[in-house]
Amino acid sequence: MNLRALPKHLFLWVLVIFTLFPIYIVIESSLNNTGSLATGTLVPHHVSLDNFKLLMHNTGSVPYFKWMTNSIILATANALVSVVVGAASAFAFSRMRFKGRKIGLQALLLVQVFPSFLALAAIYVMMEKVYTVFPQIGLGSLGGLLLIYLGGSMGVNAWLLKGYIDTIPLELDEAARIDGASTVQVYWIIFFPLAAPVLAVTALLSFIGTFNEFVLASLFLQDVNRRTVAVGLQQFVGAQFGQNWGPFAAGSLIASIPLVILFLSLQRFIIGGLTQGATKG
Amino acid sequence: MFSKLAGFTGLPAQIAKIAFMAIIDAILLTMFFSALNKHASTIEYVISGVAIAANFVYFAKFTLPFKFLLPGLVLLTVFVVVPVAYTIQMSVFNYQTGNEVSKSDALVQLLNNGLQPDASNTSYDMVLGHEGSLYAAVLTSQIDKSVLLATTQSTVLLKAGQYTLDPHGVAKSAPGFVPLTITEAANADSLISNLKFPFTHGSFIAPQGLDVASLLTQTLSYDAKTGILTNSATGVKYVDNGNGNFANQANKSQLLEPGWKSFNGFSNYTHLLTDPAVRGPFIGVFIWTTAFALFSVGIMFIVGLLLAIVLNRKIALRRFYRSVLILPYAIPSFMSILVWNGIFNRQYGAFNALFHTHIDFYNSVWLSRGIIILVNLWLGFPYFYLISSGALQSIPSELEEAAAIDGATPQQILRRIKLPLILQILSPLLIASFAFNFNNFNIVYLLTNGGPTDLGKTAGATDILITYTYKTAFGSNNQNLGLACAISVVIFFVVGTVSLWGLRRSKVLESM
Repeated sequence: MNLRALPKHLFLWVLVIFTLFPIYIVIESSLNNTGSLATGTLVPHHVSLDNFKLLMHNTGSVPYFKWMTNSIILATANALVSVVVGAASAFAFSRMRFKGRKIGLQALLLVQVFPSFLALAAIYVMMEKVYTVFPQIGLGSLGGLLLIYLGGSMGVNAWLLKGYIDTIPLELDEAARIDGASTVQVYWIIFFPLAAPVLAVTALLSFIGTFNEFVLASLFLQDVNRRTVAVGLQQFVGAQFGQNWGPFAAGSLIASIPLVILFLSLQRFIIGGLTQGATKG
Repeated sequence: MFSKLAGFTGLPAQIAKIAFMAIIDAILLTMFFSALNKHASTIEYVISGVAIAANFVYFAKFTLPFKFLLPGLVLLTVFVVVPVAYTIQMSVFNYQTGNEVSKSDALVQLLNNGLQPDASNTSYDMVLGHEGSLYAAVLTSQIDKSVLLATTQSTVLLKAGQYTLDPHGVAKSAPGFVPLTITEAANADSLISNLKFPFTHGSFIAPQGLDVASLLTQTLSYDAKTGILTNSATGVKYVDNGNGNFANQANKSQLLEPGWKSFNGFSNYTHLLTDPAVRGPFIGVFIWTTAFALFSVGIMFIVGLLLAIVLNRKIALRRFYRSVLILPYAIPSFMSILVWNGIFNRQYGAFNALFHTHIDFYNSVWLSRGIIILVNLWLGFPYFYLISSGALQSIPSELEEAAAIDGATPQQILRRIKLPLILQILSPLLIASFAFNFNNFNIVYLLTNGGPTDLGKTAGATDILITYTYKTAFGSNNQNLGLACAISVVIFFVVGTVSLWGLRRSKVLESM
């Protein structure tokens, strides 16, 4: 290590410590069975798996695994449906020329800037009304929440996917067409397999977005068994801070690890997706 | 897998399509009739609109692009465009706690509330049951022990001997009277709240539970022709005040509760700017929201860019730095925020425990704002590192070489060539990030919950517009949905303007 690089390493180490500090605190708290996080030292005193056991066995007021299941179902369903539906729209915008295309694209671009929870009061009142007719998709139901998420992710996903599809060479479509393929066939045979990795990344980003969503979920899901893990953990840790901290930390760890692994293993593709919009400019 | 689909054309495909559309139509039709049953007209319109569009698009020949667009379009329209339109509509209504039902529902409630016990507060011990096909009750006055047999049509005074008393002196039976069975009694909740036995003119006996009733007089009466509500006891007349309430004709500030939601033009918007109780918090929140979003993006971008510059060159431990410093982006953000929330807790938090301090972060305006920015930096710098590093690598190396040949130092190349280029490349993403942070609900709600908040105020020192909207609409005191929608519209306007300006600049709109 030469001396010139020292300030750089100093800067990097400050960031490393800043980054790892809360992560370390969570790991330490989850293993510490005294419950509170105020140990005053950086080394855990009473290492045990009690916090994890508590989560496994406590199913009444803290149905942790129920929450996780709800979150995973919502996030998976939203990721899959929004990508399939969004890809179809993106394909039409990218490959077809029709009246209203330009206006539609501009509208799409504008819509995707607004998160759907901006209209939260209207969504609440609207879904309250829907509940009186269709309780299965009204306020309080996971189905209704999914529909709102789907609507909200449509703009972003269609816009993102259109950007990718634009980069798939047109010659491929044309060759297929000369061989007599219809547009629908071009979509399924040429486009879908080619776009598969990109669809997977968009789906993953949607999954993470839904998993993190808090506003609408907390507004929608009042019943303790229907909560997502975000809403459930927030209420849980907020209620009895000192007492619930250990189990909360354990729960956060369990929920984070699969996502972190997924993210790190797909890192290269995700970064490609993020910078796509940027480097094109 | 797809080659199978490719061969799936001609007649079988037609049949499959028709079968699929038949299922969709059947579902939509069932939903339509459910809505019809419940008289939910808006839902009826939406469902019929979707059904007509679906059948037209999938059966007509010339609508190919829309065959691809329709599912997304329907979801976007029903669950984004409709709520946005509804937000705009609600924002011009007086729609808040006390004004949340229709006028006719409010009137029913007012007339019910206008019932008052008679002067001597007469109540009865009651046994509910039937007489013939009518609901009936045997009532024993708690004042003079007289016994009545009341039906929904008439009330008669019983003579001694016509009824039997239980040990407590309560009449339990009467001629022709059949008490409710146990099952009926168990399900009598709605019956109890709806039953009224007429007594004398203008008064009646109403159950107050399963075995008690009281004598009530109707004091309010409504004249549908003049639209005047009169209190027969006091003689006061109430008229529609045009803002969703009945008000005393002589003294307009005396309102009757509940009111109804009523059109009030731009009052919600003018309140934001003129009503001192609303304007103060609104302007404060607006300034903090803008400052927070600008400052957050600025500091995250600076840290991310520095990191990208440092790690873009060969440096020892590069892989280690990269994989650690990307972690905050991979961890679900709501969890990180909750963890940071705990770290700064005064009593139990790791910060105070480690440094042996007793700092009350959440009660100090500037410390709260500081930790919000700090935690947002933790969450956001990896993203900015990633996009900056992508932009750095996309700059052609010829530029750098040409500048070096002309004698530019590495610092000059960075400042004069790379930075301006990076800024240009990243400006759409910076604007998108501003829009995101302008509405960054999670960080504020989960970290400080908008606090510290002065007693009795809706908005706290760290509340941004979107959390302020949430509290205005669903807070614990007065829930003002109309005002909340007006704030939402203001956010739409700000974010929309900034984004449009950014898009114009980056010329994305022209390249479509």
